[in-house]
Order: sequence, then structure tokens, then C-alpha cells
Amino acid sequence: MKVQHFLGGIENLGPVNVEKRVFVEPWEAQLFAVHTAMMGTNIWAWPDLRVLAEGMNPLDYFKYRYYIKWLGGICKFLIDKGYISEKELQERTEAFLKDPDAPLPATGNPEITQRVVDYFYRGANPYRDIVVNPMFKAGQKVRVKDMPPVVHTRLPGYLRNKIGVVDVVYKGAYLYADNVPTDGLATPQPVYLVKFDTRDIWSDIPDSKDVLYNDFWEVYLEAA
Amino acid sequence: MTKENHGDHEHHNHLRESETYYAARTKALESLFREKGLIGIDTVDRVIRFFEHDMGPFNGAKVVAKAWSDPAFKARLMADANAGIAELGLKDGIEGENLRVVENTATVHNVVCCTLCSCWPWPLLGLPPYWFKDPVFRARIVREPRAVLLDFGVTLPKEKKIEIWDSSAQVRYFVIPERPAGTENWSEEQLAKLVSTEAMQGLDLVKA
Repeated sequence: MKVQHFLGGIENLGPVNVEKRVFVEPWEAQLFAVHTAMMGTNIWAWPDLRVLAEGMNPLDYFKYRYYIKWLGGICKFLIDKGYISEKELQERTEAFLKDPDAPLPATGNPEITQRVVDYFYRGANPYRDIVVNPMFKAGQKVRVKDMPPVVHTRLPGYLRNKIGVVDVVYKGAYLYADNVPTDGLATPQPVYLVKFDTRDIWSDIPDSKDVLYNDFWEVYLEAA
Repeated sequence: MTKENHGDHEHHNHLRESETYYAARTKALESLFREKGLIGIDTVDRVIRFFEHDMGPFNGAKVVAKAWSDPAFKARLMADANAGIAELGLKDGIEGENLRVVENTATVHNVVCCTLCSCWPWPLLGLPPYWFKDPVFRARIVREPRAVLLDFGVTLPKEKKIEIWDSSAQVRYFVIPERPAGTENWSEEQLAKLVSTEAMQGLDLVKA
């Protein structure tokens, strides 16, 4: 099992770091922009990044700041896929360590910027307009399956084996990703909004009548 | 290994975990991307400006102010959020292809999270701040939302019911906070200025 799949409900972690900034160092914004160039030109997509985050040592996952993890993941991906070599990345890093103010090369692909902005507005809708026969209907009780551990999942660990009620059956079907290993998300399928009483998830919490909603791909549910 | 080499090794590891190192490595990435034609000279600046001026929490605040001022608009927005924001001339897009708006009331308080990663409604709020991505926030908000709200300086009345939205599939959630008392005659522009990013995910209350 991977701790990253089971974050919800972990106790004794202490206070939340209420940092309201998006970037806390200038390099983080630069890295984020490089990432969007990769997204906008189909070098990678969210599932690739999530696979890397979920494959991390869980202690490192808690230890490192968000964009430090991204930096490690982006470099590993680009080297593994052959976009850059480890040697050239290391040499270039050393060069900028020696001279942090050295200018960037005054060259680039002038088409990329507009492609990235277009991508921000186009998005990447997982909706697929295909005919489906949803297995469950609104108001029905469902049990969340305990799927076998995999490289990448969209099933939160704390909801496994729990029983909830279908609140919404979304229209049509959605495709998560067919380019990374998942626990059954490589085919378009219905998605459901399921409602839980939080006391049905954790019996030891105060009875506050709170509820929790989560969206599930159909493969994660069975009739209860 | 000699003592000197060991010292170098320690120094190297320390260096590899410094902001200076991260900055140099990121600059190296952009530098290689430029040479390989994978990025434009102006891409980084344009992307940063985009999230400062085009896609940011000012969009969400505009939607909240309109929803507070126009009940018919609010009803349409809650029925179909993507169509609703289009009425205001706002574009949806990445991480907001399927938006849903929920509303805080006198009896219900909504909070949004993503326990698996950092899913967040970009077209309305721009990019997620650090707290939303903090593994501690993601671990605790689903089990002890009142204690987490206290970390944000928010105390909810005991009788208020909390509804938690964990974004694990295609939908990105957005919260209309409660309108503060004493703002009955305020313009939408004045109202929008009151609304924080945190309030639009349920981690802050709006005060006049």
C-alpha cells in the first residue's frame, strides 16, 4: 500500500500550514510555467505527475514542499522519456550554481506561448459523449470496493469498504487516463457523486451530523 | 572514504536541498527547453501574468458578488456552473471543465478538499495556495473539519452542519460563502472585494 493513497483521516499530524501564497520562491513560478508548457504541448498530463508523486518515499512526500516534489518529478520524467539527459541537466545546473545571473539562451519556439494559453481555456475535459448504462441509480446504497494496490488510483483510501448513498449519476461517461497504470480507469465509464455520514466512515468521531461527498468512477463501487 | 570526501558528500547533499540548488536546476530546465524548442522566450512571463490577471480568485469573487445580488442568477449558477460563469463573460477551461457551485447557509457550511492531490477550480480561483496542497490539511479536513477550521481562525456554531467535498474525479467545487450582514446596499464591486480565496473553498468567513 502507498501512504499517499490513504492520507484522509490520518491523526496526530499537528496544525495545518496555513500558507496562503501559491508560490513561496520565484523558481516555483518558473517551474510551474515549464510544467504548463509540457501540458500544453502534450509532453505530459496530470496522471503522469500523480504517478510520480504516489511513487515517492512517503516520508519524503511529507517532508518536501509541493514544488520541490514537482521539480524532482519533472526532472525524472524528462530524463526517463529522453527529452533531456541527466548529464546535460546536471552540467547546466552546475553552470547556474556558479553564475546564478547568467542569462537564459535568447532562443525558443515562438508558437509555444499561445499553445499554452489556448490549452488553459480549452482544458482537457474527461467527458466522453457515449451511450452508457449506469449500474447504480440516485438514492441507491453502494459499497466502495477495496481495490488491489496499484501504481495510481483515484480512490481515496479512507473510503474503502464504506457504505454511502448515490446522490448524483453524472450524465454520460468520463475517461481518466489510458496511458498510466490504474485500477480500472482506462475505459470511459459513469461517475457517481456519493454521500456519506462522516460517522459511518469513522465511528469514533463526535456525532455532528456532518456529511462527506466524493466522486467515484463506476469501477470503484458495488451494490450494498 | 577519506574524511575529506565524506565532507564533500555531506556538502553536496546539503546543497541539493537548498533553494539555491532548486533555483539553478529550474533555470537549467528552462534553459534546455529553450534550446530544444520546447518553450518560448516569453512563455514563463506570459504564464505568470495569466494567473495574475486572467485566471485568479478575482473571477470567483465576481461570481460570488453577483450570486449574492441576483437570486435568479444564483439559481442558474447552482444548476449549471459552467453556463452561469459564462453569463458573466468568464471562460472556463483547465481544471474547471466540470464546475459545481455549493452554497453556505445559516445551517450548512461547505468545505472543499482533494485528499489525493490538489484538484482546485482554476477558472474561478487560479492556482491552489500552499495550504490546500499541505498533506496535513488533506489528511485532517475530512475527519476533523472543525479543528482544521480553527487553524484558519474560523469558529463555527456547534449546530451548523458541515458538508465536505473531496474532489477525486472530474468535478471541481466552489463555495458561495454567506453574505455578511450590513451589506444590503453594497455594489457588486464592493462585495467582491470582501471575498477571500479561502472563503470560496469554505476555509474563511466573509466579514464586512
